Amino acid sequence: MLKKLAERFFRWYCHPDFYEDIKGDLDELYLREDAQAHRLGPDAWLMIEVIKLFRPALMRRFILFPYSNHLDMFINYLKIGFRNLMKHKAYSAIHIFGLALGLASFLLINEYTSFEKSYDRHYADSDQLYRLTTDNIINGKLTVRDAMSFAPSGKMLMDELPEVLSYTVTHKRGSTVFKKETNLVDEKMVLAADSNFLRLFNYPILAGNKDQLLVEPYTLVLTESKARKYFGSADPIGKSIEVLGSFNRPFKVVGVVADVPENTHYKFDILMSLKSIQDRIERDNWNGFNYYTYLKLTPGADVAAMQPKLEPLAKQYIGEESNLYFNIQPIEDIHLYSDFTYEPEIHGSAKAVNFLSIISLFILLIAWVNYVNLSTAKAVERAQEVGLRKVVGARKQQLIGQFLVESLLINFFGALAALMLAQVLLPQFNFLVGKTVLTSVLTNTAFLQKLALFFLLGTLISGFYPAFVLSSFKPIGVLKGSFSRSKHGTLLRQVLVVVQFAASLILIANTIIVYRQGQYMTGRDKGIDIEQVIGLENPSFQRDQVDQFRSKYKAFNEELDRLSGVEKVGGIMNLPGGGSSDISSNAGGVRIVGVTDIIDGTVYINAVDEDLQEALGVSLVAGRNFIEEMASDSNAVIVNETFLKYLNINDFESVIEEKVQFGRDPENDMFRIVGVFKDYNRTTLKNSVEPTLFYRSRIPGNMVVRLQGDDPKAAIQTIENKWAEFFPDSPFAYSFLDNRFEKLYVEDKKFGMLFGNFSILAIIVASLGLLGLASFLAIQRTKEVGVRKVLGATTGSIILLFFKDFIYLLLVAMVIGLPLIYVSMNGWLSNYAYRIDFPWWAMIVACLVIGLFAFATVGFQTYRVAILNPAKTIRYE
Amino acid sequence: MKKYPLGEFEEIVLLTVGVLYDEAYGVAIKDELEKRLERKVSVGALQSALRRMEEKGYLNSRYGETTNARGGKRKRYFTMTAHGKAALAHAKNLRQRLWDDIPDIALDF
Repeated sequence: MLKKLAERFFRWYCHPDFYEDIKGDLDELYLREDAQAHRLGPDAWLMIEVIKLFRPALMRRFILFPYSNHLDMFINYLKIGFRNLMKHKAYSAIHIFGLALGLASFLLINEYTSFEKSYDRHYADSDQLYRLTTDNIINGKLTVRDAMSFAPSGKMLMDELPEVLSYTVTHKRGSTVFKKETNLVDEKMVLAADSNFLRLFNYPILAGNKDQLLVEPYTLVLTESKARKYFGSADPIGKSIEVLGSFNRPFKVVGVVADVPENTHYKFDILMSLKSIQDRIERDNWNGFNYYTYLKLTPGADVAAMQPKLEPLAKQYIGEESNLYFNIQPIEDIHLYSDFTYEPEIHGSAKAVNFLSIISLFILLIAWVNYVNLSTAKAVERAQEVGLRKVVGARKQQLIGQFLVESLLINFFGALAALMLAQVLLPQFNFLVGKTVLTSVLTNTAFLQKLALFFLLGTLISGFYPAFVLSSFKPIGVLKGSFSRSKHGTLLRQVLVVVQFAASLILIANTIIVYRQGQYMTGRDKGIDIEQVIGLENPSFQRDQVDQFRSKYKAFNEELDRLSGVEKVGGIMNLPGGGSSDISSNAGGVRIVGVTDIIDGTVYINAVDEDLQEALGVSLVAGRNFIEEMASDSNAVIVNETFLKYLNINDFESVIEEKVQFGRDPENDMFRIVGVFKDYNRTTLKNSVEPTLFYRSRIPGNMVVRLQGDDPKAAIQTIENKWAEFFPDSPFAYSFLDNRFEKLYVEDKKFGMLFGNFSILAIIVASLGLLGLASFLAIQRTKEVGVRKVLGATTGSIILLFFKDFIYLLLVAMVIGLPLIYVSMNGWLSNYAYRIDFPWWAMIVACLVIGLFAFATVGFQTYRVAILNPAKTIRYE
Repeated sequence: MKKYPLGEFEEIVLLTVGVLYDEAYGVAIKDELEKRLERKVSVGALQSALRRMEEKGYLNSRYGETTNARGGKRKRYFTMTAHGKAALAHAKNLRQRLWDDIPDIALDF
């Protein structure tokens, strides 16, 4: 029994060339004493020997290739596939180019979207980090969500809530002037942070004692590049940098950290210890929330469950009367999802990221669809080959294998071309998104892996259906010749063409709408004239030298007014064209005494001097401007139209000389309204005009200089010379107001550009497919065209006849696509406070463009067939 | 790449084939090996070494006669090729040179 089994096993695996003599040896040995006397018996001895003989060197080749001709067949499939590629060079080029475009743009966009999604995930425990923000809830209605919080709240929450492990309080200082030897450097990215900051956000510490960073007042931590900028290759630790402005004293450098990665929402170049601004923190206490607080919670803490516990704490600490509440948001969501006021930087948009992902998927799908469409349409050409292969004995699985190999071949060339295309387009793409997403695709393993993955996926997705169709032909029908026109997959083909048409329609219309909205925002009248107007940051000065500075400032203003290149100089605290957070606000309630009740909600506070109205070209709709000589104007304010509308006042004249009061305490200061400014847009047109109150200030923070004449450059040069004369200790920093506004739309522009460019790519790929399909269908009907011509059809009527097939598909695509355009884009437009009306004409343009495109491709291909001499085309039958 | 890839066991098998000269078939080689090595040698180890060396060109083989004990199955006789001889010589030289280079003192026990 065991002997039989061993023999059968051996016969099964042994290489036939070796079988005879080895088996002979075994038989001979079996009869010997050694084997017979084996302690498990001779049969067991044989089995053991047989098992020991089970070695690769003695086996037949059965593990990899059960039928020895499979490898040969595979090579043959490749050969046939390659010949087919070469035989139809135009179609192959369409496939490969389309796939390359599809894959390249899909993968590049994918890099971009995953970069956007990678924000703030680079910290250890980033899933435990949260930001404490402040919600303004009035009568149960959430009005303003603010990214900042009160300075003491971090510590309070850690004491009160067990979920809070630690916290850090930071203050974004904005621009601060540092002195590098004799040069003045205006550092824009300076944070004041407590000593927990570098523990919560674990940036690599490159130098300094990590326990002593940001502990002492007047100490600094620099990023690597800033350290190099200030100290070159010298060791910065222990050295000092002079910080001007309100400090005007040296700060000691105690540490260096690695540069902050691009995908961080809270960036900095320089950290100063929070204790350096202790006086400010004490002043703000529970009165002003001007700080960014980050919390580290216990792993898996349930934020939703914490929210109810926060409410009584807000009442207890911020005040019973207050409308302000604590809110906690995960740090990983901030970049894409948080749209609060006072965000520390212009944030990304989850919507834009999703939009782009969808487009990129569209492009890839369209490329795959092209392959499916054309290969099923062309199936008839391969039908005879399939029939013959079947007659000779090919099985269906083998034919499916063959056509999958062909799809593999095409997809492989497509992937190769995609790689080259991506590499060539990469600088362009980085420029488009405004970030260096990748430096090279060839060296990026993640990119290559994704390419390989989608290459294989594409092979299966695009190859399987054609392979199935092609392999299912019945050899009898095919070989008898009764099989002449491919009805296979006609419906599927039509559906796919409709999808392509609809996708193209949507992309064209959406591109137009995105572009129009962008144009509208930059071109819309903002209520102020910002052409040829520059903003200047005020020079810094010591607090104890206000009077001196004031007279110097005034003298400087008068000097500027006298320059021939300057029309008017004014002062304003918050320059037009700033970010939504570049303005102060008050959320403590406001009223016009005796006229309105206290209205809860946020109003914004700006400051101007009496010259601003003229310098900026703001109109007054009621009352008057500030008057310099009038001493009583010291408590005068000007409000804007929105401010009054906010208080439900429509008769603007009626409030002149009435008094405004903030807060609930009737003892609070009152301000006399002397005028009403016409609304103007201070920030992006995504936001509506803020209800704003302007108080009067003689040195409000920024100068607004309206230039005149043809040479603004020269004018600015003369202003700079004057500046150097008056304020040698302050850097001269100016910006054109129209540029400031344009910068606000960087993200929108980027989105528009990306959208537009990739829509064009999608449409190119789609029309490539259409071109191939139309050309093939036309050639297939060559004989029919010949007969029609003989019977008297004109070239034009034939083109129309062929085009009719596509017209129906286009109409179906419109029925599907147009409502989708309306729904998606109307939703998108509603994000904007100032938006264009839904442009119906964009739909018509999109339809026309697609119609024209389709007509051109189909017409051209049909034309080539239609002009052929029927005598030639129907000669053989 | 090694000029003469030859494992230790292979070398011994090859030498044994040389020793048996015209009588080197599976069972005979096995017996001779077991006698000289004073241990058991499995058919599997032996046969795979033989086939590997045949593939490398150190051995030739031919079918020979059969006996009753073999149930009519022919023996396969192995003979050494010139290439096999060169491989053995190479291995021997290598060892010899190593022996020669051992200083006397190291062998002085």
